[in-house]
Amino acid sequence: MSARLFRFPKPEWMNSQTARTAGVYLAGALFSLGFFFFIDASVFSHSSRNASEAHIKFVDWLPGICSALGMLVINSIDKSHLAQDSYSYSGEGNSWKARLVLFMGFALMAGGLAGSVTVLVLKYLVPEYPWPTLYLGVANVIANSLIMLSSIALWVSQSIEDEYTYNLAL
Amino acid sequence: MPGLKTIIALSFVLAIGFLLVILSSALWKNYLPLLVVATYVIAPIPNWACGRYANPDDFVDSAGSVGLTDFGRFCTGFLVVMGIGASKFNPYITRVDRAHTAMIMSIIGGLLIYGTIISFSMFFQREEGF
Repeated sequence: MSARLFRFPKPEWMNSQTARTAGVYLAGALFSLGFFFFIDASVFSHSSRNASEAHIKFVDWLPGICSALGMLVINSIDKSHLAQDSYSYSGEGNSWKARLVLFMGFALMAGGLAGSVTVLVLKYLVPEYPWPTLYLGVANVIANSLIMLSSIALWVSQSIEDEYTYNLAL
Repeated sequence: MPGLKTIIALSFVLAIGFLLVILSSALWKNYLPLLVVATYVIAPIPNWACGRYANPDDFVDSAGSVGLTDFGRFCTGFLVVMGIGASKFNPYITRVDRAHTAMIMSIIGGLLIYGTIISFSMFFQREEGF
């Protein structure tokens, strides 16, 4: 009959272009969700409901800034420069530069996530704050993980595009 | 082809959305939920602007235009979730009880308005294209 492995056919609308568009929208939504988790924590920190003396300071903002910068760096790179070193457009090979910048982006993003966990442990877990105050640190970790997820979604959906242009070239 | 019935139904949905949002702000004399409507009205703008600027039919310089279109979509997704997220701060800011009711009303109203905008543009883009 057919060479398909599974019984269910692939839906007609799920071609690479729609998957790509949905992935990019999803990335924006995830980034916004992470951002608002953190904004929520800082609004809570300075509202009258926060009864403790712990507040969101610049230290708490730092991991989020690192993650967002890392996401910006990672996704600004043209992915086609990464793989191909064999034929280079511009004289010398460009791919080591792309890899270096990419490494810095990944380091920023991982540093952001690790920094948020550090803030959670050092600022909120070690002084043994109870739950509503602990949320200030937990929201920071959630925000940074969501920014990382958003970056992954953007990366994956941007690599779908290569397959699409390949099909187009055929 | 979208007929007259579609337009009437869409305008009803839009009116219900605006009714919910205006009620959620006017019932408790707190007009911040109107910001949700503003967010949903701006939300499709980056998508349209970047899509128009980077013409997808242009195969000559595809790499740059694809990046621009993606940026527009990213911003739109950001703004849509921001509409929901911004209305969550309402209970913090207001002292009134029932602030959660206002929050839920403004979220539903905003989603109705945004859905109307999106379906309207979808119906009429499909008619003019191809």
